[in-house]
Amino acid sequence: MSTSTLPDRPSAAGDASSRFFRPRGRRPHRGRGGSGKSGGRRDRRDRRDRKSTALTVAMALMLGYTLLPLVWLMFGVTKSNEGLLSSRGLWFADDFNLFDNIHDVFTYEDGIYLRWFANNLLYSVVGAGGAAMIATLGGYALAKFEFAGRRLMFALVLGAISIPGTALAVPTYLLFSDVGIVNTPWAVILPSLASPFGLYLMRVYAADAVPDAMLEAARMDGAGELRIFFTISLRLLAPGFVTVLLFALVATWNNYFLPLIVLNDPNWFPLTVGLNRWNGQANGGSVAGSTAIYPILLTGSLLAIVPLIVAFLFLQRFWQSGLSAGGVKQ
Amino acid sequence: MNAKSSIAGRLGSRRSTSMTAAVTVAALALSLAACGSDSKSDDDKGGKQADPSAVAGALDQPAEITFWSWVPNIDRTVALFEKKYPKVHVKLVNVGQSKDEYTKLQAALKAGSGAPDVAQIEYYALPQFAITKQLVNLADFGAASLRDKFASSAWSQVNVAGGIYGVPQDTGPMAMFYRKDVLDKLGATPPKTWAEVAELGKKIKAADPANFVTYLDPGDAGQANSLIWQQGGKPYQVSGESSAAVKLKDDPGAAKWAATWGPMLADKTVESTPSWNEEWWKSMGAGKYALWLAGAWAPAVMQKNLPQGAGQWAVAPMPTGDGAPGSAENGGSSVAVTKQAKNKAASVAFATWLNSDPEAVKSLNSDVGLFPATRLLLDDPTFRGADLPYFPGTKPNEVFAQMSGAVRPEWQYLPFQVYANSIFKDTIGQVYKPGGDLPGALSTWQERITTFGKEQGFTMK
Amino acid sequence: MPPPGHAVKRGALRRNLTGHAFFFPFLVVFVIGVAAPLAYAFRLSLYEDRMIGGTVFVGFDNYSKALSDQLFSAGLVRVALFFAIQVPLMLTLSLLAALAIDSGRLRGAGLFRVGIFVPYAVPGVVAALMWGYMYGKRFGLSAELSDLLGTELPDLLGPDWMLASIGNVVTWSYVGYNMMILYAALRAIPEELYEAAEMDGAGAFRTAWSIKLPALKPALLLATTFSVIGSFQLFNEPSILSALAPASVPTNYTPNLYAYNLAFNGRQFNYSAAIAVVLGVVTVFVAYLVQLATARRERMQ
Repeated sequence: MSTSTLPDRPSAAGDASSRFFRPRGRRPHRGRGGSGKSGGRRDRRDRRDRKSTALTVAMALMLGYTLLPLVWLMFGVTKSNEGLLSSRGLWFADDFNLFDNIHDVFTYEDGIYLRWFANNLLYSVVGAGGAAMIATLGGYALAKFEFAGRRLMFALVLGAISIPGTALAVPTYLLFSDVGIVNTPWAVILPSLASPFGLYLMRVYAADAVPDAMLEAARMDGAGELRIFFTISLRLLAPGFVTVLLFALVATWNNYFLPLIVLNDPNWFPLTVGLNRWNGQANGGSVAGSTAIYPILLTGSLLAIVPLIVAFLFLQRFWQSGLSAGGVKQ
Repeated sequence: MNAKSSIAGRLGSRRSTSMTAAVTVAALALSLAACGSDSKSDDDKGGKQADPSAVAGALDQPAEITFWSWVPNIDRTVALFEKKYPKVHVKLVNVGQSKDEYTKLQAALKAGSGAPDVAQIEYYALPQFAITKQLVNLADFGAASLRDKFASSAWSQVNVAGGIYGVPQDTGPMAMFYRKDVLDKLGATPPKTWAEVAELGKKIKAADPANFVTYLDPGDAGQANSLIWQQGGKPYQVSGESSAAVKLKDDPGAAKWAATWGPMLADKTVESTPSWNEEWWKSMGAGKYALWLAGAWAPAVMQKNLPQGAGQWAVAPMPTGDGAPGSAENGGSSVAVTKQAKNKAASVAFATWLNSDPEAVKSLNSDVGLFPATRLLLDDPTFRGADLPYFPGTKPNEVFAQMSGAVRPEWQYLPFQVYANSIFKDTIGQVYKPGGDLPGALSTWQERITTFGKEQGFTMK
Repeated sequence: MPPPGHAVKRGALRRNLTGHAFFFPFLVVFVIGVAAPLAYAFRLSLYEDRMIGGTVFVGFDNYSKALSDQLFSAGLVRVALFFAIQVPLMLTLSLLAALAIDSGRLRGAGLFRVGIFVPYAVPGVVAALMWGYMYGKRFGLSAELSDLLGTELPDLLGPDWMLASIGNVVTWSYVGYNMMILYAALRAIPEELYEAAEMDGAGAFRTAWSIKLPALKPALLLATTFSVIGSFQLFNEPSILSALAPASVPTNYTPNLYAYNLAFNGRQFNYSAAIAVVLGVVTVFVAYLVQLATARRERMQ
């Protein structure tokens, strides 16, 4: 909901995952850290498994609310343009056009959708992966090393989160244009590497997850700082890293405003910008442009959502344990 | 310069209906030589000192031209060009439609690099780029000779800020599309005057309160501007390069427009609705609006989006106050060459070929579906008499060509029309409702545009 | 052999350097992606670039203009209203869902957890598009519901309902996300606390009130703080819905939309930058107020 020039800027009430990593006074449960599936927890579950039908029904209503648009979308992708215009939203049209629509998505404008998809993968993997790595290094540095100016750095980084994306769009464009990277993948990837939010998360997380005593012991043994980081600290930071990575992944996958401004060539568009361009075409607004592409637009939207949902489901074990591990440190 | 180039122009155009592009380019080069000596433009030297033969031969040299356009299927016409001039490669890029493209173009031009050589720009946006000197003045390349090739309503729209900043590509002389089936059911005939439109609205309303005679779009400044223009309005006036006036409040055409549409809004015979979205297409298909007042580009769009409407719709001249023919342009665009163009001669030659070569303009019309800006087709009996299967048994092009000739002259857009149009929904859009105060909103709109103009350093009269 | 003090100093120096080295990559990308554009934006805000007359230095003129600009303040008031209504509603829903899933009394808790979270993975652009279609009063789901109920539902895209409709899209997108956060925090509550409560004979409600809620307070505070940023920077949803209902979303609907329109349709890049900086300052200020209010309440207790 914010314009998010930077993928990791918090949006809406969102991105508050950090609250898990916030140390809150005493932490009596260090022993249970890590897996998040502590023994005591399971006991509590077992003790209170009297199921409530009323509660389940109430929650089902909420589930209906969150799934409604997605169900609508799934019916939508089975319809032709005429079908969309003439049928009920939550049921099939007379014709079943799903496979034609999928075919059309991948062939429309010489199959540019696939290209957009590949771009998205590139931006997300490099952008989110890099952002998570850089944030981990930076957060670790802030938490574990007393270096000059670190408080100032941290304050500046946090303050920068509140500046609207639109403020940065034009200056970013002009700066990148001077350097000559406008309309290249770098224009999208470079800014998404800076994740003030990930830095914040990792600082709080690293403060607790990596015991100072362990670092001291390693140093006594004569291990270099790099070696300590890669052999000891990184492993301890892994759950936090995965969590930051996933949220950075969402941010880069759904990044819209910055690519919209810094990219001209449709061959470099990510899915969000490409889909919105199709939406512009579908909604005409201008003279010669209009084409009947609603079905393509809807099908393209659905296909754009699927990878993230799959990623979340597939990585559920990892990121939920990351969240819980963070949660233990309250 | 005028006298000389117009002779060259006339010589060129009289025969050019059958001329090949090579000759057209040669004529261009000739007139370039003719006006090069006294051109006062501060255009860069490439334009003034270009050897005529170099311009004529620009397309025979290897060149690479980047062309921004969002028009679907225009690649077919570009392919014809590349076939004809195999040494020139045109990189066609669709960076977005209309305003989206202007945003990018604006940013690239401000940054000093990244802009295309050639760009599609609608008439209403052209002055903004022209007055800030971000486009090549085609007059320096002899484009004045093209004048007689184009409908005067199109030519006057590329003639801005004392230069020629684009080659007209397509036009949208307004006509009235109407649902035969709806009118037949009511026993009505197509309205010829605004009074008859209002009358028809009442009939429709009486038959079914859910239907309307037509609609007004609270987000579409272009629609309102065209309807004001069509009533004889001239609310935007530009003089010189730094002086402009907005007279929406006192313009007689705007007043007529308000007097026509205000009562229909009050009667609820006209609906206020955003257009071009799914819902609107559904309404169009369902016969909710008996009339659609739109540019001559509409048939191409209807065929794509309302294929089932073939045979339901028919075309008639625009209604007017007194029943005498009168129209306005609604949409339409030109092709301009930017200041950042690397090979200006080739870029100009390409833009010219694309929009004036006989082969090209036929392709633009039949392959791309654009309504022509060129007399080559507008005056061509075969074109005017062509059958469009979507409108069986009628000759829609004949009506459009008549409307093109009936476009009221002397309309101008502001050098900041893009902004003016963007705040249309804040002002007029707010009163598109029953009982809405149209004259009041015209003043509000005028005030906000005037304030903006002053802030931009214009002398606002 | 150096004296011990020297070794400590050398260690500190080494650590200082290592810290800088580890932080360096972040510093580089931060400067490129955030700090430099931000500084540039501030510089832009001190100038004025006119179509006629070119660029001139105007000092803080753009700022004084922004502070007296009624179009700007109208947008600010609107997002403040949005924040005051949408955020409590959304967080309440998230909280109830998290409590329900954590209670262990739900059948198929895993399904609920995932199903409610899913909208977070939907791009904001797509979310607004889908809801926009469904809001349609003539052919959307809203119309079908009207048919079904036999009454005319209000026009959800009309000027009166637009803010609520936007609030719905935002709530839909983030309710599951916040739920996840609160849920994970709940799971981290030490088991001993529950045991103690049980021994005291506390019921489910009292347990929730006196154990779970206090434990969630820091998480809720942070969620609220970030909601301040999200609300005051509202952009995508109104921007996309405005295509479907132009008159309901004027160009100054939110401060961010206002800045965008000034920059990209009005080419007032400079004034737009000033608006954005003021908006940033207001956001930080309100976020600080929220923190302060909570801290004070805690002190009073």
